[in-house]
Amino acid sequence: MQRLRAVGAVLTGVALLASVTACGGEDKASSDDPVVVKITIKDGKVDPSGDRVDVGTGQPIDLEVTADKPGELHVHSEPEQQLEYAAGETTLKIAIDRPGVVAVESHELDQIIVQLEVR
Amino acid sequence: MNGVVEAHGIGGQADLPISLELAVSGAVAALVVSFTVLVVAWNRPRYDGGQHPGRPAWAVLDRVTGSPAFAVALRALGMVLALYTVFCAVAGQNVLTNPFFGIFYVWWWVGLVFASALLGPVWKAISPVRTLNAAIARLAGSDPDQGVLAYPERLGYWPAALGLYAFVWLELAYKYPTELGSVRFWCAVYVGAMLVGGAIFGNRFYERADPFEVYSSLIAKLSPWARHDGRLVVRSPLANLSTIEPTPGLVAVVGVLFGSTAFDSFRESTFWVKTFQDSSISKVYLDNAALLVFVLTAGLLFSIGSALTPSAEGLARRELPRQYAHSIVPIILGYIVAHYLTLFIDVGTQTLARASDPLGKGWDILGTAGVEPSYWFSYHPEVLASIKVLAVVLGHVVAAVAAHDRALSLLPKRDQITGQLPLLVVMVAFTAGGLMLLFSA
Repeated sequence: MQRLRAVGAVLTGVALLASVTACGGEDKASSDDPVVVKITIKDGKVDPSGDRVDVGTGQPIDLEVTADKPGELHVHSEPEQQLEYAAGETTLKIAIDRPGVVAVESHELDQIIVQLEVR
Repeated sequence: MNGVVEAHGIGGQADLPISLELAVSGAVAALVVSFTVLVVAWNRPRYDGGQHPGRPAWAVLDRVTGSPAFAVALRALGMVLALYTVFCAVAGQNVLTNPFFGIFYVWWWVGLVFASALLGPVWKAISPVRTLNAAIARLAGSDPDQGVLAYPERLGYWPAALGLYAFVWLELAYKYPTELGSVRFWCAVYVGAMLVGGAIFGNRFYERADPFEVYSSLIAKLSPWARHDGRLVVRSPLANLSTIEPTPGLVAVVGVLFGSTAFDSFRESTFWVKTFQDSSISKVYLDNAALLVFVLTAGLLFSIGSALTPSAEGLARRELPRQYAHSIVPIILGYIVAHYLTLFIDVGTQTLARASDPLGKGWDILGTAGVEPSYWFSYHPEVLASIKVLAVVLGHVVAAVAAHDRALSLLPKRDQITGQLPLLVVMVAFTAGGLMLLFSA
């Protein structure tokens, strides 16, 4: 019984530890300044390739696309958004309200361009 | 998006990664608890050998769950679910909103695990392939328990391990996991294999070779329910866990389950995304190789860790891994909770809404078409992250205790503490690795 209690004490310690660290997360206030993501699509290649970008919930995001031909971006939020861009420069404006990780993909090239960490 | 199918499967938005502090404190907690268990816990086996039959459950519950009518009702429920799924698969459209995908990847693969952990061996009770086999046997005037041949016990769980690998391969390493035709084909092969196997080997085949029954029944050993001398009893999951038989292929099953879940986390990390996108080798090949490496690594690490423990009764070293493999089951459950909880709640709810309109014609057969997930956990990421870490750490603690208990009956007296170290190190590595994946996902 003594030993069981010791195990119980450790468990409680773990729970406390976890809850304390959970509350210690830094709060990142979402701002109204847009986050700019520069995307270059050229010769079947996309830059960036799978980078993480931190954004706030509801914060405006400007996807500045420079492309050699027109195409479509998929934003894997819920519901999914499909955004068309033209050859040359296009700025696509989005905002994501629900926290989580949202992938932005090039439809034509089947490539993940950025993963937005929305918090 | 007629026919055009996304390569990355079901579920749009993913969970935020857990914070580094939380991952590290979880790993430290796992380490501390492991050694506490090793040093201060009991030093004679408590659960091994069935000294804990458990308390009899409420008499009404015992009568109801033990009655033939209850068994028939569950079989009927299983058949209805299966037929509805077949209807969605055959008559529905090849779009992600077809409920078939949610039923297959979320209700079946994840929901079955949660249901089994809470209620016991669910798949055994509702399995439509068992029901079909029983129906065919009845028509032929034979006994469904008896096949033409006896199931070769040397095969053990190996066919189930293969079947489970086939499932995770379809989900994680195949190019078109959400194309109706391929998932339907997978199901057809599954049902075909199960019916042929059942006809040849009888019901024993399902216990050993049906991937879903093996998975569900292993997880059910973490539920508080058991039948002891025919009576329904409530007992510690640790007592249930110790009754998992050290069958051949058990290590392969837990290796596939743990390794594939780890790979599912890993493939969302920036590291992996960059690797396959910047590589000249096709993503499918890389995914296939990585899935295999994860599964083999999990199985081999565990095998090495347990084979390095000394054994008292002249048990061959290669027999040791399967003697300890039951202890990995709680780690798997903890990691499944951490990894799939939100998928189950959110996409599971979405699937219920879609199931009301199986053909995409605007119907509302079940009256659930308007149900929408609340995404509560998305808006409370700290709560979610704490649940994930607690689930992983708790799974680890139960695993460490189960392994400790088994070690006491296998280890020679003089090696009782030091002998456990290799396995303990592997377990801590699994847990720390799992937490790091949740951090980088």
